[in-house]
Amino acid sequence: MVRVVRTKVEIEGRTHEEVVVVEGEEPAAWAAGELHHVGQATVRVDGVERVTGSARYTSDMQLPGMLYAAVARCPHPHARLRSLDTRAAEALPGVRAILTHENAPPIPWHGKASRVFDTELRHEGDEIAAVAADDPETAERAARLIRAEYEVLPYVIDAEVAMRPDAVQVHPDGNVLKDEDGNEGETYTRGDVAKGFGAADVVFEGRFSTAAQMHNALETHGSVVAWDGPTLTIYDSTQAIFNVRNRLAQSLGLPLTDVRVIKNYVGGAFGAKLGAYKQTLIAALLARSTGRPIHLMLDRRAENLVAGHRAPSIQHIKVGARKDGTLTALEMRIICPIGAFGMWAPSVGGPAKEMYTIPNMHIQTFGVRVHTGSHSAFRAPGYVEGAVALEGALDEIAAQLGLDPLAIRLKNYAAKDPGSDQAFTAKHLDECYRRGAERFGWAGLRKDLTAARKASGAGSAGTALLRGIGMASQNWGGGGGPTAQALCRINSDGSVDVQCGSQDLGTGTRTVLAQIAADALHLGMDRVRVLLGDTDKPYAPLSGGSMTVASVGPAVRMAADEARKQLLEIASAFMDTAPDRLEIRDGRIVRQGQADRSMSIADVLKEIGDYQIIGKGFRGPNPPEIIRTWGAQFAEVTVDPVTGHVQVVRMTGVYDTGRVINPLTYTSQIHGGIVQGMGLAVTEGRTLDPTSGKSLNANLEEYKLPTIADLPQIDVTWIGEPDFQANHLGAKGIGEPPIIPTPAAIANAVADALGVRVFDLPITPERVLTALAGGMA
Amino acid sequence: MDPFEHHNAATVAGAIELLTGNATGAQAARPISGGTDLLTTMKAGLRAPVRLVNLKTVRGLDSIVDYAGTLRLGALVTLDTLEHNGLVAERYRALADAAGLAASPQLRNMGTLGGNLAQESRCAYYRNADFPCWLKGGTVCYAREGDNAHHAVFTDDSPCVTVHPSDPATALLALDATLTIQGAAGERRVPIGDFFTLPRADHRQLTILGPADLITGIELPPLPAARSASRYLKAMDRATWSFALAGVAVALTWTAPGSGLIESVRIALGGVAPVPRRAAAAEDYLVGKQLNAATAAEAGRLAVQGAASLAHNAYKVRLLAGLVARALAATVPT
Amino acid sequence: MAEEIQLRVNGQAHNVTLPATRTLLDALRGDLGLTGTKKVCDQGQCGACTVLRDGMAVYSCLTLAIECGDSEITTIEGLAAPDGTLHPIQQAFLDCDGLQCGFCTPGQVLAAKALLDRRPQPTAADITRGMAGNLCRCGAYPGIIRAVEQAAQRGAGTSPAHSQAGASGGG
Repeated sequence: MVRVVRTKVEIEGRTHEEVVVVEGEEPAAWAAGELHHVGQATVRVDGVERVTGSARYTSDMQLPGMLYAAVARCPHPHARLRSLDTRAAEALPGVRAILTHENAPPIPWHGKASRVFDTELRHEGDEIAAVAADDPETAERAARLIRAEYEVLPYVIDAEVAMRPDAVQVHPDGNVLKDEDGNEGETYTRGDVAKGFGAADVVFEGRFSTAAQMHNALETHGSVVAWDGPTLTIYDSTQAIFNVRNRLAQSLGLPLTDVRVIKNYVGGAFGAKLGAYKQTLIAALLARSTGRPIHLMLDRRAENLVAGHRAPSIQHIKVGARKDGTLTALEMRIICPIGAFGMWAPSVGGPAKEMYTIPNMHIQTFGVRVHTGSHSAFRAPGYVEGAVALEGALDEIAAQLGLDPLAIRLKNYAAKDPGSDQAFTAKHLDECYRRGAERFGWAGLRKDLTAARKASGAGSAGTALLRGIGMASQNWGGGGGPTAQALCRINSDGSVDVQCGSQDLGTGTRTVLAQIAADALHLGMDRVRVLLGDTDKPYAPLSGGSMTVASVGPAVRMAADEARKQLLEIASAFMDTAPDRLEIRDGRIVRQGQADRSMSIADVLKEIGDYQIIGKGFRGPNPPEIIRTWGAQFAEVTVDPVTGHVQVVRMTGVYDTGRVINPLTYTSQIHGGIVQGMGLAVTEGRTLDPTSGKSLNANLEEYKLPTIADLPQIDVTWIGEPDFQANHLGAKGIGEPPIIPTPAAIANAVADALGVRVFDLPITPERVLTALAGGMA
Repeated sequence: MDPFEHHNAATVAGAIELLTGNATGAQAARPISGGTDLLTTMKAGLRAPVRLVNLKTVRGLDSIVDYAGTLRLGALVTLDTLEHNGLVAERYRALADAAGLAASPQLRNMGTLGGNLAQESRCAYYRNADFPCWLKGGTVCYAREGDNAHHAVFTDDSPCVTVHPSDPATALLALDATLTIQGAAGERRVPIGDFFTLPRADHRQLTILGPADLITGIELPPLPAARSASRYLKAMDRATWSFALAGVAVALTWTAPGSGLIESVRIALGGVAPVPRRAAAAEDYLVGKQLNAATAAEAGRLAVQGAASLAHNAYKVRLLAGLVARALAATVPT
Repeated sequence: MAEEIQLRVNGQAHNVTLPATRTLLDALRGDLGLTGTKKVCDQGQCGACTVLRDGMAVYSCLTLAIECGDSEITTIEGLAAPDGTLHPIQQAFLDCDGLQCGFCTPGQVLAAKALLDRRPQPTAADITRGMAGNLCRCGAYPGIIRAVEQAAQRGAGTSPAHSQAGASGGG
């Protein structure tokens, strides 16, 4: 019997209500005593495929008769397509099809704002035509041979300019996103800000900015598609197979049964692959017109132009505090250019709203459309950027008051959600601070650095390396929620497959789910195979929002638990014992307290012939309390005053995300978050040509990803206390938490080293040297 | 890439013949050795040579030979070999360091010294086929008004404000290298300072190489071992694998071993002008001086005399002055 | 212009007819079906396409296939034994979780192989320098460093690729 319940689910910093269909009872909180695999450092179950090159990623798919496709793109930020001449491309031997706005169906895209091939082109890289050819070189060459004539139109790429009433309009409904009441921007208010600042003894006011961070997942976006009669199979480099299926079915007018999306391995995603992109539809159309499978992967340049990015942010922040460090008020005005078709503004105000007990607050967030490719989610969108301004402002207040940055954070510690006064399911951030400070040697280092600076006389005139330390806090969701479903099937030979339409992005999902299933079944991991990444499997949500373990994990546990119960019930018929007196031990079904009365699983299964035991599991509703993940990071940097180079020397991170299922992959997630956060802090940022609006670093040469030589020493630890109020596993997500405080902690450490703050990220040599020269950084 | 003919040259003369007299401009035949620069220009649509002439099949171009103290490097010596060759590291450390600081291990395995010297501008506008910039034959230097944070602070009236990307070039300029160039008209020996050339309206490239010219060798003059030193320092915008924000090579001779008194010095600056350049005023100042923190700093100050920064690269002037002083200080015998 | 050449990859000879424009990367992936070598930037800016050419780590995206006729190429598919036994470097990447999405991993493993062939007992600085030509966007660098260290400890520097065993091209 099914029931219907309503619950709150948070994804990427935004909460919505979801209807959950509930069938049966979820298992109870999982006690540590029941666990043999969960909690153990476990090498990846798909690691061999990944280290031998046998893992098949989307771009590796090669289907019989497959053609390669390439896309011709608009070189201008804003233009109207006057004419297209495809004759030279068509004449090239090996070219099989060319699609343009003239011969492709006008399928709407970006809501109703555009279509698959539009004639008004609103960003550099907007698609104008696509070619399918026998090999990749021919496709790429043919795309280059397509001649397009444009009427180049006025454009706007600067968000502050785009907000002006007389600005060039990206769409007829205005450049600034509106709230539900039709007002520009989103406004959040609590308390009385004027009164709060009135009560303040000190006020800090500043303007921070962060750059567009490009995901640059090493596997670009793309699809390999094939039609078989009316049904379409799509291999997609995605973190959301069901979203891709829904979108393609809708665009092509197909029932869901006729679209299957498969993703076995994906070469990185980081939030940019949460839905269908236009190239998948283009590939499907080319496959239909040629009758051949199509391979369409973006090239690196297109990946940087059209496949999403972390929106830049401009953050005006004002914070007031009493002499004792008590924060009294905060005001933020946040501006984020979200590209031509952005539909939401990142939650840059998220950290400020939730992190500290600030009673009076006014935050305005403006998502502004500009003539660039659209932004997308990127690992904790908004929170990473927002932490830079919030944590930076806190350090500035602490400096004004002569307080330890750690002390001011503890002083304003929020035991409950400061906005709603609701309880959290769990919060051990204070313990994260304490352990982090101890492991890092925070207090001692602060003392030493202060003494050393006094001794040498403050000065940036020298050429010796400048050393500094900084810290920052992190809050994020990661509690997951419904809907997630799973099946667990015990085959007649005793092997087990767990089926779930989730995705492993390299985060370790397959491994973690195998650990969970093995423990729920009371079997070894070698018996269990986890099948993911296929819309033929039960529904699982997109792999994002740090929600996979907490959403899919409980469903898999329940499915495996149900399968185990069925197995015991079946065994009871042959063992003449009530099922609740049976248990599984070392691959045998044993009567409790009577080890000699046992039967091998194989023998039980032999009795039932070809019958497959199938357990079903689902993810139940969330509790009314607020589920959050917490963490603190400490950074040590050196800055070379001659070259302006910032080297992050050391990072310590302490996390509270509930139970840790796999310490090995958990640690890797934290390493990855810190490395990416460091990129945002010191090396990464899209540069747009101020005179033409075109990207100048849509590649991996001028867009600087961190290298192995940029790596700091990283020390990682965690609290590990299960959060059973959140879900019966007690586990929450770790995907996004580790990137959130990194740029803030590094920026604070650089400010400590320089004695002057660089407010704009990335903190490049240019900005460091400009700041040291006393100019505006 | 557009289709091309591919020929394996057996001899230098054969290569020159294959390079002579076919298409011009972007379609002109090109020699290929490591391919690490040429193929990127072809993939970007900047070059579409009708013919590639493979030099790797010419024997003997990758040797390193010591002729009575003069070191002769074949043009096809890889950067990796330069970094690890004992003779180079011992006598011409600036060059070994420059080679080791260039690019990545794989690119150093592939890239050759000749190709490195002949590489094209890395200016983002130049590399993007959508910008018909002046250096590519257009009318506008987009970097002048655009994003020029990485561009020249010495432009010397060049219409183009790119910077030369080679690390070894800067080191070779400080080390007073001479190049051997072979072309249709025979062999020339060219001091490296004359090999690089500011681009002009009728010569929009950074070297004197003609379409059928090949660098075949690089010669390093002897340095008095006991009383000379050289260094190369490079500033980058990440820890490694980046073109220089500025590179500084110094090569100097002391009056006597351990004296610290400078007899002669050459300072070369890279990443700050369309071609590597000498810091003549700083060199003149240092001759006869004791090298110490103060004289090094003054040399740094003099090295940036005449610098004229663009809108976004004033920081490079400060950086360059500091790097010159640091490179000099690094040569002080300990 | 197409040319018939013999490509020797992982100890096996393949006679193929290739256009001059074809990179070694595209030839390995498209013509030989060896898709373990990854295409990421196609411009020599990331390291994912790293293969060994006569034992030397190179970027296959900036190598013309028709120039490789005299070379012995080793790709990721050539490291493990036919019975599936991993090369010690692969085993170390697995054990140390020196990977996340895995897309850079084949290139990383081959860069590590070239490094350890040259320096069987590398210092920390050797590892950082030797692995600097391979970007990992997931940030698995700490695990990669541990993996190279572990592989060195287990003597990977003297372990030929399976396909190189008995051949002279390993060093």
